[in-house]
Amino acid sequence: MKNNTTTQMSFGKKLRRFLSDNPVPIMFIIICAVCIPVSGFSPGYLLNEIMTRMGRNTFLILCLLIPIMAGMGLNFGMTLGAMAGEIGLIFVADWQIYGIPGVVLAMIISIPISIVLGIFCGKVLNMAKGREMITSYIISFFINGVYQLVVLYMMGPIIPIKHSSIRLPRGYGIRNTVSLLNMRQCLDNLMSITIKGVKIPVLTFIIVGVLCLFFVWFKKTKLGQDMRAVGQDMEVARDAGINVERTRIISIVMSTVLAGFGMVIYIQNMGNLPTYTAHSQIGMFCIAALLIGGASVDHASIKNVFLGVILFHLMFIVAPSTGTKITGDSMIGEYFRVFVSYGVITVALTMYETKKRRIKSRAGQQLKADQKGDEADE
Amino acid sequence: MNAKTSEEKTAGGRIQGLIKSFGLPRLIIAGFLLLLFIASPFVGANIFTQLTNVINRFGWNAILVLAMVPMVQSGCGLNFGLPLGIISGLLGATLSIEFGFTGGLSFFVAIALATPFALILGTGYGWLLNKIKGGEMMIATYVGFSAVSFMCMMWILLPYHAPNMVWGLSGKGLRTTISLEGYYAQVLSNFLKIKIGSFSIPVGNLLFFAVLALAVWAFFHTKTGTAMTAAGSNPTFAKAAGVNVDKMRMISVIMSTWLAAIGILVYEQGFGFVQIYMAPFYMALPAVSAILIGGASVNKASILNVIIGTFLFQGIVTMTPTVMNSIIHMDVSEVVRIIVSNGMILYALTRKTEGSK
Amino acid sequence: MNKKKTILIRVLAVVVLLVIAAAMMVIGRGHTVYFDNVAMEYEGKTYANPYRVDVYVKEERAAKLKADERGMASWMGANFKMTLEITENKGDEPTTKEFKVKLPQSMDGVIINIPALLADLPEEAYLSEFVQTIVEEPEEEEPSDTETDTPVDDLGTDGFEGLGDI
Repeated sequence: MKNNTTTQMSFGKKLRRFLSDNPVPIMFIIICAVCIPVSGFSPGYLLNEIMTRMGRNTFLILCLLIPIMAGMGLNFGMTLGAMAGEIGLIFVADWQIYGIPGVVLAMIISIPISIVLGIFCGKVLNMAKGREMITSYIISFFINGVYQLVVLYMMGPIIPIKHSSIRLPRGYGIRNTVSLLNMRQCLDNLMSITIKGVKIPVLTFIIVGVLCLFFVWFKKTKLGQDMRAVGQDMEVARDAGINVERTRIISIVMSTVLAGFGMVIYIQNMGNLPTYTAHSQIGMFCIAALLIGGASVDHASIKNVFLGVILFHLMFIVAPSTGTKITGDSMIGEYFRVFVSYGVITVALTMYETKKRRIKSRAGQQLKADQKGDEADE
Repeated sequence: MNAKTSEEKTAGGRIQGLIKSFGLPRLIIAGFLLLLFIASPFVGANIFTQLTNVINRFGWNAILVLAMVPMVQSGCGLNFGLPLGIISGLLGATLSIEFGFTGGLSFFVAIALATPFALILGTGYGWLLNKIKGGEMMIATYVGFSAVSFMCMMWILLPYHAPNMVWGLSGKGLRTTISLEGYYAQVLSNFLKIKIGSFSIPVGNLLFFAVLALAVWAFFHTKTGTAMTAAGSNPTFAKAAGVNVDKMRMISVIMSTWLAAIGILVYEQGFGFVQIYMAPFYMALPAVSAILIGGASVNKASILNVIIGTFLFQGIVTMTPTVMNSIIHMDVSEVVRIIVSNGMILYALTRKTEGSK
Repeated sequence: MNKKKTILIRVLAVVVLLVIAAAMMVIGRGHTVYFDNVAMEYEGKTYANPYRVDVYVKEERAAKLKADERGMASWMGANFKMTLEITENKGDEPTTKEFKVKLPQSMDGVIINIPALLADLPEEAYLSEFVQTIVEEPEEEEPSDTETDTPVDDLGTDGFEGLGDI
């Protein structure tokens, strides 16, 4: 029946359906198509930038997929993992561990911190079912306060920090930026290939690829199936004997740990760590990128991640110079891309909520009709 | 039932009941503030100056907190979209200066000019929130963010010309902060000001807040107001009773937006500057946590909550830097503020609230 | 039974991670190596410095040292390798020698005295720790969240930079 209708659909109908199913990516393709020629960047430059930024960001965005699978929406709490990764990096910088060993060590240090924060986040979200997103968003602010307390006041007197190069001159707290020069792009440069001036960070892509394979495998495991069941319907899953609360906490913990790794990869590419600002925007940008790739609050795939990363960064690169060319003010483009990031999240969230309501009301009507039918039968 | 009566018998049970109704975090915050007040003379801070500061800041911020009430009451949740109203206020403020009004008059012109913007933006915002019942808070947050970043472009592009608002060099694009000296700085605060030594009360400012608070209180005792409360506490029941829930929500959103517009103007008159561009970005969070500290929940708020909450919140914000710094010689006030305010919002979000989804 | 297995696996995972972490701390330990081309006195004997030394680390010239000069290079791990191109006196043909030095884990900065190294003296003679003289910075660097460019008061909003690259 279903097959029949799809084959019968005319091309125009198919196109319309495709357009209505993917409004956000299409809108972005149009924005980029307009901006690229105006901005005047060469394709080589753009390709190079996209490659670097893909390597830098994809891992972070991938960590959002698991909570979506478990029906917990967009995990604004990924910032927690990012902070854990940053703490790992601060220690590594203080202990003077260079290069890839430093990256690995920072990741290992971040794991226990991420797990603790993830369990906290998961428990709080379990108490706020139905408003996970706003709660995880506030959690990220709350933990940011704790992070500042630890990094700004406790590092030095309580947590030993040896080197004065990363400590504030007043004796406690970490400087605004921690230089990671000896770690800079060590993952990206190892095994990198340069084709016609475009540097491809092969190793970073391999790591991202491994994570993607892990997701594909994970979906098929018992835990992955449980998560999907919880995401579909919590009550049904509970009746089926799944420990819903535990499954949700695990999904958040996994996401947080992966976010910690992702942050380490992100910062090693940047080469220095803005101690107090690195994480403040990361959640928002990653979520915007994922949504631009066509994901929604309850459904996201690896495909969305890659498309999102490319489109989002393309917009990010070309918007400032396009804005400058059109309006003559350099700030316009910068504000524009911030506006677009927020706008996209707003639109995507709105679409998700209206869809959810429509389905709910349809289900209600169905129920009513069924009841009427039953009454008639009797 | 049984448990309740036995609980009331013992004194311990009574205290527990009190804690339950008032909320443990609120007690902790109130206790903390009390401690700060007690400690302040010992660290050499003048308690009267401190109190004056707290009362002043209370006057500046209270209306922004008051703007939370209508939306909470009508079931729209906490108004994380406060920046939308703030933008209306900022438009009113900048236009009033642009048109050349000065002194106290410019304040009332700003209110008048902000009103249509608040009505229009509030209507759109209300329409959107009616389409997405259940997900208001998250979307409200992002509506606010989008609006602020959109206006960032507009502040540059709109044809403002008043010389003390635009950048001196290029002659266009608004500055990030605009001084209100000669316009409506301290207009309310200096009106009927009582001064006893180092202690002063900005009566005009408090009076202005009292009038608005009274108006909101009175509104909730009219027929429309009670219908709005009904729509918030039990939408299905209200619908059955013939209340147009969507319309009630719409009115509440417009009210909230308009109050936010007034709120930011009052804040500016006290502060003495108009802050634009990214400044309104996170202004919703302090207001939200203030009303929660005052005892409101996600779906119930009163004027009393506003007054208590603003006082406690502003008390902590003003007292911690002076007192804590002298005790431990570290400026932890920023961190304390972040943890307290966001912790309070978290606490409220995790409470099981009946009647809401 | 099953529970025991999960606990065992967890403990094993933690142990493996700890082992990796320990290994990384040794392998990745970074040092700044300083080379001194300065005459050295050891047990009463003076070892004169060569006229000129070129230091090659990782096939790159890290320093070109005349008398009483100091060069530096960073190195990851404990087994430091360098190639020295020594010109004993002005006009001489340079001789090339390869050296391996074990860097102590505890030192951030390591000073290697080249004349002592060339003379095959024991480690304590040619190797010493570089202690940074702490330079007091006059201006206090304050973290960003307390930075405000405009009037000091704000609504108590978080220090938000607003725009930023990702």
